[in-house]
Amino acid sequence: MLRKIFFTVTVLLFCLQTTASALDPKKAELFMEDIGDKVISILANSHLSIEQRRSQFKEILDTKFNLRAIGKFVLGRHWKEATQEEQELFLSLFKSTTIANYASRFQEYTTEKFEVLSSRLEKDGGVTVLTQIIRSSGQKITIDWKIFEKEKELRIYDVALEGISMGITQRSEFSAVIQNAGGKIRGLLEALKAKVQGLTQTGQIQTEHPEYEQ
Amino acid sequence: MFTIKKVINRTFQLLLIAALLTLPVYAQEDAWTYTTTDEHPGEQVTLSPQEYAEDRNPPKSLEDLDPMEPVNRWIFEFNEFFDFILFNPVGFVYRTILPEELRIRVGYILRNISEPIVFVNNLLQGNVEDARITLARLVVNSTIGIGGIFDVSSSLDLPYKREDFGLTLASWGVSPGPYIVLPILGPSTLRDTCGRIGDYAFDPVNWWAFFDDKAYYSYGRTALQIIDAKADSHQIMKELEKGTLDYYATIRAWYIERRKALARKELAGDNTETPHPDDED
Repeated sequence: MLRKIFFTVTVLLFCLQTTASALDPKKAELFMEDIGDKVISILANSHLSIEQRRSQFKEILDTKFNLRAIGKFVLGRHWKEATQEEQELFLSLFKSTTIANYASRFQEYTTEKFEVLSSRLEKDGGVTVLTQIIRSSGQKITIDWKIFEKEKELRIYDVALEGISMGITQRSEFSAVIQNAGGKIRGLLEALKAKVQGLTQTGQIQTEHPEYEQ
Repeated sequence: MFTIKKVINRTFQLLLIAALLTLPVYAQEDAWTYTTTDEHPGEQVTLSPQEYAEDRNPPKSLEDLDPMEPVNRWIFEFNEFFDFILFNPVGFVYRTILPEELRIRVGYILRNISEPIVFVNNLLQGNVEDARITLARLVVNSTIGIGGIFDVSSSLDLPYKREDFGLTLASWGVSPGPYIVLPILGPSTLRDTCGRIGDYAFDPVNWWAFFDDKAYYSYGRTALQIIDAKADSHQIMKELEKGTLDYYATIRAWYIERRKALARKELAGDNTETPHPDDED
């Protein structure tokens, strides 16, 4: 009898554990659909200024992505070499370049359609949601989103365009910058700072003369 | 003069060493088989030992794949300059005189002409189903689609799937080898460079042009392909350059990752090299 109870409890515990760690792919699909709707509505709203657009993207980035985990992955082995102060500075610069980058980039994409295609559970407990964007020319771009659930909250951890992981490519880029700066993380921080300034400026010029931008 | 000669000599030496190192002598000896649980549950997937090793131990960083970085960066700069003085003005004229709708048609026609070599590659990869689709596409688009102007096939559930000899080599277990920036043509790897040569040499359309004494046709087509590709990606590349810190490193990473994704096809079910909740701590 005791043995039977022990067995049932073990099985129950085991079940609970698996449901807690593995994310339901359907849930991840709904999560992505919701984000897609939000982004489309931002893009469709032509009355938004670049500043408003930027703040809306910032909100999505803050609430739907795990920027800390992404930043750490993207810095790769250099994360451990950096001081805590450098790490924090990197994370804040990484966030502002990402926002500045996408806010200005999304300006040209106004008539896109966003579709969630399917999803699959990965071996590491995350879910990859496969989606596609249909451009006005009819061109289809596939985008895969890697999603994990942590403390009952879903977050995006990686984005892959046509199979190209943004995490891996940015890690490679940042590593090249650090290498060219003589292995010093300071070099990357300086470059990011300059980039944020440059992007915010060109963003303003773009809103004034969108069609002259060659 | 002396230094240029030295650089060329050195490049060829490195190329030769790289070629010897990536010879597919150990490919396909005995394959690993495992059962997938992802996209096609229960399906048996067979990987060559090399693919299996790559699958389990991905290269630590992309920089390791670029032993000729200084030479590559030099050629990359040269290509940028060449874009600036030649392809950007040509592309600008091309985009200005041809409306987008017509440019899309030109892209479709070029794609239709490349269908025979895709078919050859489908067969070389032993993929009969894809070969059937490619052949059907070619026939439908060349007739009903009037020489490829209209991509009728895509609406008949015969989607275009890009294949080239570089990907065929990949399917035979040849690893990409070192990253190479080709003059004018841009990013490549040793494997993909061999693939390009293979595609050019085995393309039935080029054979026809060669024996029919229409060599100019091949050059014209290649030039148009470059212009079409550049006009198509112009906006995206500009955006990309604006957002990056090291354009060379970004293009390198994008190329290597994209080719990896194309080569593994539906085997992509193992996407675990991404940021992870544990990264946060």
